[in-house]
Amino acid sequence: MISELPILSLITFSPLIGIIILALLPRGSSRWLRVTAIGTAILPLLLSLWLYADYDSAKDGKPYEEQVTWVDTHFDRLSDGASNSLSFKLQYHMGIDGLSLPLLLLTTIVALMAALASVHIKKRWKSFYIWFLLLEIGMMGVFMARDVILFFVFFEMTLIPMFFLIGIWGYMGREKAANRFLIYNGIGSAIMLIAFVLLISTAGFSIESESVQFFSGSYDVIKANLMDPQAAVNAASAWNGNYGNLFMSESMHWTIFILLLIAFGIKLPIFPFHTWMLRVHTEAPPSIVMIHSGILLKMGAYGLLRFGIILFPEQAHEWATVLAVLGVINILYGAVLAFVQKEFKLVLAYSSISHMGIVLLGIASLNEIGLQGAMIQLVSHGLISALLFLIVGSLYERTGTTELGELGGLARSMPFMSGVLLTAGMASLGLPGLSGFIGEFLSLLGLFESMRILTAVAVLGVILTAVYVLRSVLAITFGPMQEKYVALRDARLIEAVPMIALVAFIVLIGIFPAVLTEPMKHGFDTLLQQLSGKVGG
Amino acid sequence: MNTMFSEIAWLIPLFPFVAFLLLLASGRSGQGLGVTIGTVGSLASLVLSILVLMEHMSDGSKYYQDGFKWIDLGSFQLNIGYEVTNLSALMLVVVTAVSFLVNVYSAGYMKGDERISTFYSYIALFTFSMLGLVLADNMLTLYIFWELVGVCSFLLVGFWFTKPAARAAAKKAFIVTRIGDAGLLIAILLLFWYMPDHALDFVRIENVFEGQSGTVAAGVTTLIAILIFVGAVGKSGQFPLHVWLPDAMEGPTPISALIHAATMVAAGVYLVARTFDIFQASPAAMETVAYVGGFTALFAATIGIAQNDIKRILAYSTVSQLGYMMMALGLGSLTGGIFHLFTHAFFKALLFLGAGSIIHAVHTQNINEMGGLGSKMRITAWTFGIGALALSGIPPFSGFWSKDAILTTALHENPVLFVVGIIAAFFTSFYMARLFFLVFTGRPKGEGRIHESSLTMTIPLIILAVFAIGAGFVETPWNNTLGEWLTGAAGADHSGSGLVMVVSTAVGALGIYLGWLVFVKGTIARDAVSSRAPWLVGLLERKYYIDEIYAAVIVKPLRGLGSLLNAIDQYIIDGIIAIIGGTAVLLGRGGIRLQNGQVQTYGLITVLGLVILIIAVVGRRFWS
Repeated sequence: MISELPILSLITFSPLIGIIILALLPRGSSRWLRVTAIGTAILPLLLSLWLYADYDSAKDGKPYEEQVTWVDTHFDRLSDGASNSLSFKLQYHMGIDGLSLPLLLLTTIVALMAALASVHIKKRWKSFYIWFLLLEIGMMGVFMARDVILFFVFFEMTLIPMFFLIGIWGYMGREKAANRFLIYNGIGSAIMLIAFVLLISTAGFSIESESVQFFSGSYDVIKANLMDPQAAVNAASAWNGNYGNLFMSESMHWTIFILLLIAFGIKLPIFPFHTWMLRVHTEAPPSIVMIHSGILLKMGAYGLLRFGIILFPEQAHEWATVLAVLGVINILYGAVLAFVQKEFKLVLAYSSISHMGIVLLGIASLNEIGLQGAMIQLVSHGLISALLFLIVGSLYERTGTTELGELGGLARSMPFMSGVLLTAGMASLGLPGLSGFIGEFLSLLGLFESMRILTAVAVLGVILTAVYVLRSVLAITFGPMQEKYVALRDARLIEAVPMIALVAFIVLIGIFPAVLTEPMKHGFDTLLQQLSGKVGG
Repeated sequence: MNTMFSEIAWLIPLFPFVAFLLLLASGRSGQGLGVTIGTVGSLASLVLSILVLMEHMSDGSKYYQDGFKWIDLGSFQLNIGYEVTNLSALMLVVVTAVSFLVNVYSAGYMKGDERISTFYSYIALFTFSMLGLVLADNMLTLYIFWELVGVCSFLLVGFWFTKPAARAAAKKAFIVTRIGDAGLLIAILLLFWYMPDHALDFVRIENVFEGQSGTVAAGVTTLIAILIFVGAVGKSGQFPLHVWLPDAMEGPTPISALIHAATMVAAGVYLVARTFDIFQASPAAMETVAYVGGFTALFAATIGIAQNDIKRILAYSTVSQLGYMMMALGLGSLTGGIFHLFTHAFFKALLFLGAGSIIHAVHTQNINEMGGLGSKMRITAWTFGIGALALSGIPPFSGFWSKDAILTTALHENPVLFVVGIIAAFFTSFYMARLFFLVFTGRPKGEGRIHESSLTMTIPLIILAVFAIGAGFVETPWNNTLGEWLTGAAGADHSGSGLVMVVSTAVGALGIYLGWLVFVKGTIARDAVSSRAPWLVGLLERKYYIDEIYAAVIVKPLRGLGSLLNAIDQYIIDGIIAIIGGTAVLLGRGGIRLQNGQVQTYGLITVLGLVILIIAVVGRRFWS
């Protein structure tokens, strides 16, 4: 039944319903606006859970594809006359597989929690929630788009709502942070666009028949051509002698691979492209940071995997050490800097850098264990950082500060929230039984196969993570409490619900990692086959 | 074959886990309920553990294993499982017995604490994790529970979280043990990639490493063994990672008895015993274990002499005794190590609970502020005395037999370590004599009336005292029940044990006599040493300045590096990126200026763009 529905489009565009209702509601009725937004955010979560329940990893997402031709422009070739027409094809092509599904679920979960956490928003609710839901559409689209240009469109669709959400509803330095966010992500997008255009004009070339040839943005076409270049070259050469050289050129592969690495590296972020996200972490409203740290950063890793690694396994293999070194730098650099920060949000920002380093390690392993580890780490970190910023939001509302030096002993007045914070911290430092451990352990285990020393160095990060997590979390919850905090109230129901839900997911993955590994089981099959075929053989 | 109880051994950790969940759900509301739920949970575990142990002591039944696939990665899989061996059956009883007694004791000790329910939930979680660790059938499962006991220890050390000292101690306990854990983690990674079929279970580890079969190269074997030992060093407070254990005494005293004396800190010894075949395949690793253990035994005993906090003295004593166990393992005596673990669990738990009883009565931990408690707290004094004699290795108390087993092995294997062990034994009996005489004899120093503790506290003391007396008889030079049962081999060489007995008893008695002379009789002045060599006393009081060295060598440089990188991050990296971003903005501004509404400008741009496009299209053909 589910496969008869355009389920992917339904999921992606379901927030539109909420946007329309929100548009009709009066701007002052904060309660109804809030209820509508939260109710709307439930919709994609339910639909994606349904999809998850129906998903069969053995088919690797085959049945779940939706495809409509979007743009099809013919243009006559200058040289060969009108009989031989060439077209440029873009498709609205959505698909889901082992890579997309976990991240789609993460998106719908975190988005709902962030919608709940937005109770702290104090002004202009109507436009806030409209931007918020638009952002959700963009994020879900990114994880399902199977056409590079469609991917790009969804990717950009996340930038604009984010710009306004940071710039209007953030803290003191919000406008500067929003500008920075837009500039750096804009640069990243520009580089990504160049890479995509190069991809379309080389590997996107496809010959249907003697008279129908086209350039396509289709991920499948590009992937098929890159996987079996000889067939593509033969066909292309038969049609036009010169073309093959370009298509096969090694340097073109490298160019595209490196462009993609930079484009997604800014988003991930990879050191030294990380400074923009520090400001977002400190200046954006906490519920938006939940989205930003929880999902948007994952788009970088997802893009790197989907386009960088899977399309260019040979380049990835050759640069595996580079990726691993970048990962280790991220881990250690982030951890050491998180250790000296005086502001809790900055601790968490650097902690994100450190944890994204683990993702890089998993990717660099280029084996099943590590790649699965990287994926789990993405989901896990998404949940954990969403939880942490959920707490930050509630904390700030009560104390008016997130400076570590001004807090302390809050476990006395707020035992529940402190307990959740400690749990989140433990998850973050990779305590077994919680999700962080699985991602971290599998990434390290995978990388250890090929890079022993680097892995051992990365394990140092495990110690440093404990140091900075405990330092900051205990500074807030343990120790003597200041008089002014005695009367603080513990979490309200609307705050407690998302906290408990996120903790539940973190524990669930920690104890039954199969909930994630099962759907991902065959997600990397083609990549691994290619690697063993091309590189190993 | 009868494995009826072993088959349901997975229930043993489950009881306290259910208790934990119930307590978690009830929150702070269930005040009195906490005690009941926690105690009942641990009692159920204790009963089942005893049944499992009895099953294992009967003939015929030896081994039971079960588990499930945890993470399935196509060609690889990771399992969670449990197994019941003789060793784990013994440990089950030790853990559940001490845990149950501590549960009972805490009902009195923690009475009136508003967070008593939380306290019981932590104990339940700890008991669950510790039992999981004991039952684990593979390295990964063990590691998972290994970390969980660590976090429980952390929570309980920091139980009185408003005290800055408790916060610091909890943090230190977690981080220092994590250094060891990192080593263990790397050892697991190595095992996974070097073992045939990526197996991590103990049975196959045993098969592969038994008798140095050479399946795994010698260098790698040594590396794995040393890294496992690094994990054990962290957990069992061996030098140089011992620094967290004395500070961990900030936790409630029943916890010090359960976690930081009897069970969790012994997990390092247990780990080495579990993976003993890897160690035996590497002589270098065995030597490392033996020397680190021996050194720690002596090193910590000397510090014990100069401490004034009753719990800290006992903590250093724990470090020292764990050193003995490690030394035994390093010298190849699995039986000796486990035997001492077994007896130590009872007499050290007894000493800590006794100390708790004292602290409960006098509200201080400084032994110089105590005195004359013997007449007022008779049960505590008697039981504490039994524990002290057992620790000092005086016959016929249990510690005598187990220490004797270790020293006999040392005499055969390594005379240097034998001497070290004897000297450490002397210091041990001396610091215990000092502690005992200062606390229980002489004139009372504190104000106010002092009572013996309530029955919930004294009954566990009495039970533990019985074990402290009797537990040693399972293995004596004339009766190798424990050794044969544990290792399946005939008893170790006992020649020379007569000599060892005489020497160790003499040394123990000498320590006590010296203590009596100094602290009761006053024949030797108390400041006899401190007046002549104040530097020596200072050195011992400051614990050889190890904490200060770590602060100067690791913590401060790390903080400095962090601050330096922070400055670089803020000014240089952000600056460079800002310049790149700024260029983009400038280009954009230039673009805006061009849009001035003049058709000629647009035309010019169009032409320029066309030229660039043509160049690009043509140029692309030459790109190779």
